[in-house]
Amino acid sequence: MASKELEGNLSELQIGENGERKPVEDDVSEGEVKVSCFTEDFQDVTLHFQIVNFSKQIYAWIGCNSAKLGHLYAAATTRPNNNVSVTSLLGGTSDNTGSSIARRIVLKTGLNVVIACNIPKDSPMLEATAERKLVERLASLGYFRPKEKHSN
Amino acid sequence: MESSSNNSLPTQFPVSHKSFSLNIKGNKTDIVICKYDDCFMVMATQIGCMGTILHARKEESVSTDPTFHVAVIFGKRDEPFLVACARQLIEHISSYGSTRPLVLSLGLKDHSPGSMKEIIYAVIENRLW
Repeated sequence: MASKELEGNLSELQIGENGERKPVEDDVSEGEVKVSCFTEDFQDVTLHFQIVNFSKQIYAWIGCNSAKLGHLYAAATTRPNNNVSVTSLLGGTSDNTGSSIARRIVLKTGLNVVIACNIPKDSPMLEATAERKLVERLASLGYFRPKEKHSN
Repeated sequence: MESSSNNSLPTQFPVSHKSFSLNIKGNKTDIVICKYDDCFMVMATQIGCMGTILHARKEESVSTDPTFHVAVIFGKRDEPFLVACARQLIEHISSYGSTRPLVLSLGLKDHSPGSMKEIIYAVIENRLW
């Protein structure tokens, strides 16, 4: 882990009254809907993430240096063959930023997703980093399908 | 009604939100309200997913009376009370001086006017504008 990331992660930790460390992001522990917010720094860019976990769907927002909503995409498996389809709900249809993230999240989780993303166009490295961070958090929240066991 | 917000975090996340649950006519309803730089997002669900998504905005007008545009961008297009709910909320946002649009998602079991009113009251009570 780079030293900058380590310092950032340490500064995000909060010491509670009993000396226990608590993450800065706000996790709603009660009820079906959980909201997770966290921030990651990548080179000179700050990526903000907000995940709202519904029982049958995921909503995620990715902010790049700002708190604008950005473009909104919906993705889900569709018949036949459970292929993943993506549609743009808000924002330009010719811009692919965010739509590919939405597609891959559906492939990995099997759930319907709605992704809002304001990552600028023509930033593939930034988009890949944002997707990786989002996937890591979703994995920690237990959203990935178990891998199918191949029988010999 | 249980509610939580992230307004007291030491490193302030740029998007403030409120999340709470309430019972509407026997249906547990989870509501999340988020404030982005350029819009408000309100999600109300009884079915475990976002449901129908609507976009409501105030239109530029030279007259003193504001006009609003409400559109369903995903989901049910034949439920007028969903549109009415978005219309009520965008008008309320406008009356508080904000011109930001609203993205509203409603995943409801019951589309009756009574349920809509309770959702509107709950959102207004916990508004972020």
